[in-house]
Amino acid sequence: MTLTRAASAFLLLWLTAFLMSCGSEHNTIVVGSKNFSEQALLGEILAQHIEARTHLPVTRRFYLAGSYICQQALLAGRIDTYVEYTGTALTAILHDPIEKDPSAVFGRVKSEYQQRFRLDVLPSLGFNNTFAIVIRGEDARRLNLKSMSDAASHAPQWRAGFGYEFMERPDGYEGLARIYGLRFAEPPRILDLGLLYRALLENQVDLVAGNSTDGLLSARDLVILADDKHYFPPYEAVPIVRRETETRHPEVRAAIAELGGKISDEEMRKMNFAVDGQHRDAADVAREFLHAKGLD
Amino acid sequence: MSPIQFFLRHHQEILQATLEHIWLVGLTMFFAIAIGVPLGILVTRKPWLSKPILGGANIAETIPSLALFGFLLPVPWLGGRADRLAIAALTLYALLPIIRNTSAGITGVDRAVREAARGMGMTDRQILFQVELPLSFSTMLAGIRIATVLTIGIATIAAAVGAGGLGEFIFRGLAMVNDQLILAGAIPAALLALGADFVLGVLERRLRPVR
Amino acid sequence: MTPRTPSESDRKPAIEFRHVHYTLSNRELLNDVSFSVARGETLVLLGRSGAGKTTALKMINRLLVPTSGEVLVEGKLTTEWDPIALRRKIGYVIQDIGLFPHYTVTQNISLIPRLERWPADRVLERVKEMLETVGLHGKTFEHRYPHQLSGGQRQRVGVARALAADPDILLMDEPFGALDPMTRGEMQNEFKALERHLGKTVVIVTHDVGEALVLGTRIGLMEAGKLACLYSPHDFVHATDPMAAAYMAQLRVYDEAKGEK
Repeated sequence: MTLTRAASAFLLLWLTAFLMSCGSEHNTIVVGSKNFSEQALLGEILAQHIEARTHLPVTRRFYLAGSYICQQALLAGRIDTYVEYTGTALTAILHDPIEKDPSAVFGRVKSEYQQRFRLDVLPSLGFNNTFAIVIRGEDARRLNLKSMSDAASHAPQWRAGFGYEFMERPDGYEGLARIYGLRFAEPPRILDLGLLYRALLENQVDLVAGNSTDGLLSARDLVILADDKHYFPPYEAVPIVRRETETRHPEVRAAIAELGGKISDEEMRKMNFAVDGQHRDAADVAREFLHAKGLD
Repeated sequence: MSPIQFFLRHHQEILQATLEHIWLVGLTMFFAIAIGVPLGILVTRKPWLSKPILGGANIAETIPSLALFGFLLPVPWLGGRADRLAIAALTLYALLPIIRNTSAGITGVDRAVREAARGMGMTDRQILFQVELPLSFSTMLAGIRIATVLTIGIATIAAAVGAGGLGEFIFRGLAMVNDQLILAGAIPAALLALGADFVLGVLERRLRPVR
Repeated sequence: MTPRTPSESDRKPAIEFRHVHYTLSNRELLNDVSFSVARGETLVLLGRSGAGKTTALKMINRLLVPTSGEVLVEGKLTTEWDPIALRRKIGYVIQDIGLFPHYTVTQNISLIPRLERWPADRVLERVKEMLETVGLHGKTFEHRYPHQLSGGQRQRVGVARALAADPDILLMDEPFGALDPMTRGEMQNEFKALERHLGKTVVIVTHDVGEALVLGTRIGLMEAGKLACLYSPHDFVHATDPMAAAYMAQLRVYDEAKGEK
């Protein structure tokens, strides 16, 4: 085999592979999600609803490891849509400073995503997965506590438990303690996220920081203290869609938009509990939800 | 579901991811060869450059791949698109074997051949293209083969920073504790690497000059 | 090829060394070397390893340049010549030959003609001519690769390659050194005949005194970077110079061992 024959065969092989990879599947809609159960649920809801309404084939690409990965996948066209949280989009993707007003945050995210990435941000699905400061139900009733300001005076008698990230974030414990004037008897205990609620329920700690849509919150006697000073930023769940996908399939946008405002905080909690607490299949839980809402 | 059934069911996605992977590797090898071969030639022409160039490539090779991806994330033009970032990092990794083998191949050419060529009145360029490069093609190809197999492997890690490819199946499978997803990424990647090694190895042997 | 007839320009020396010194890393490899080579003559530089003979040879085709002193080829300083043009006019044969392993015999021999852009048919004709000249008869050799040839055959191809572009000057550095004594003897005799026929100016480097006597029209004895003496073969044999005498003594020992004389 001569040199030139070998070289040209080699080149041809690469070229073929190249060209093959350039072409893409135009009709399938790919729904992505991050790597925790709430995201898988939301992904399923989106996917099933798109299937039902548009009859287009939908591929699921769930458990992508985080916002950056999902954003890259959107930009590269490997996924057509996924659900992001407005606060995360603002700080982690756009690198803008955090704001507290939900509609300002949404507006900012929508316009910048359109301008910088040609991505469409659809209206919120209806819930806000922000941080939640949680105490036991009995304490809330006994001391008549409804908001963080109410509870601040009791802090010296309490032990707090937080996850490592919440302790480290500048918009985590540090700011919270400052805004509400919290002074605990001892420094807060740092606990594994999975153990926070158990520690609370077993009276090892008296106050924890969780997420407002955590499943256990709907299944146990736990109360979320209202963030009356609006310390925590909004993390509204918004579907993000590629403009190109919308142009090729406007019915996809219509289908996703139909889901706007349909999921309340409590409904999300219940679904999360079904998957995390009761170990049910996310696809089944999603299907039941859509059926119950008359969306199938 | 057995692994085979899983593969059949999701063959479309697996093929798509494989093509993404090939695209990442292909582009990387293109840049690595385009940069590495001239650098390898340069090292033979100006031996004092051998330390900085080979040294630099060696350092790039030593940095753990995930760390290198992480380093490049904040870099303005690169960090914005994960595939650019991945290809930049992967190219740095692929450089060392290519530079090293190119220069070794050229310096390994028989001294008598080189002296005869020079003494007969061939210009440096003629010697490079008509004598040195053809005679070192096999060694260069060995370097390219090593670099290709290396790149196919490290490209699976690129999924950790969002570049897609077969690694994505592996990471998703790990997060979901789903063996089949992991295999859906790992097996095609391994086959790609073996295939590339085999094909390039055959080519390398065919091109080896008989002494 | 027809032998050349002498002309006016033939009286100018083809090669001249004028007080050439060459120093490398503080070692003086050539020390005030001066000689000239007339057109058509064969100068053999004889001496042991490290005497500076190869260094001197490489000055002629400008593979090396003197630290001081001048080397002239065809009346022009080597430093004034374009090195590539100079080398293409000089045939160069080295001990290890250096045939390109990835070229056939034909491609090897036709290297310079092709670089000089001779028309294709003239190139092919010339290759055939050269193969005949060096005694590689028949079509069998044209498409063989160097690794398919014996040592002697490779050496012949090396000579053919050097002569292909019909250079006026031929440089040979221990050309038969890598061959076994039988083949070496054969090659020396064949080359002697060829030499006379070609009429080129030849400079040969060797450490073999027998070879020097067979091939040279003059013998230059070199020792430690200096040209000790310059003799015709006849004068060399009868020389009283101690170094020349020492070489001849070696030869006699050899002859006696062979049972001759």
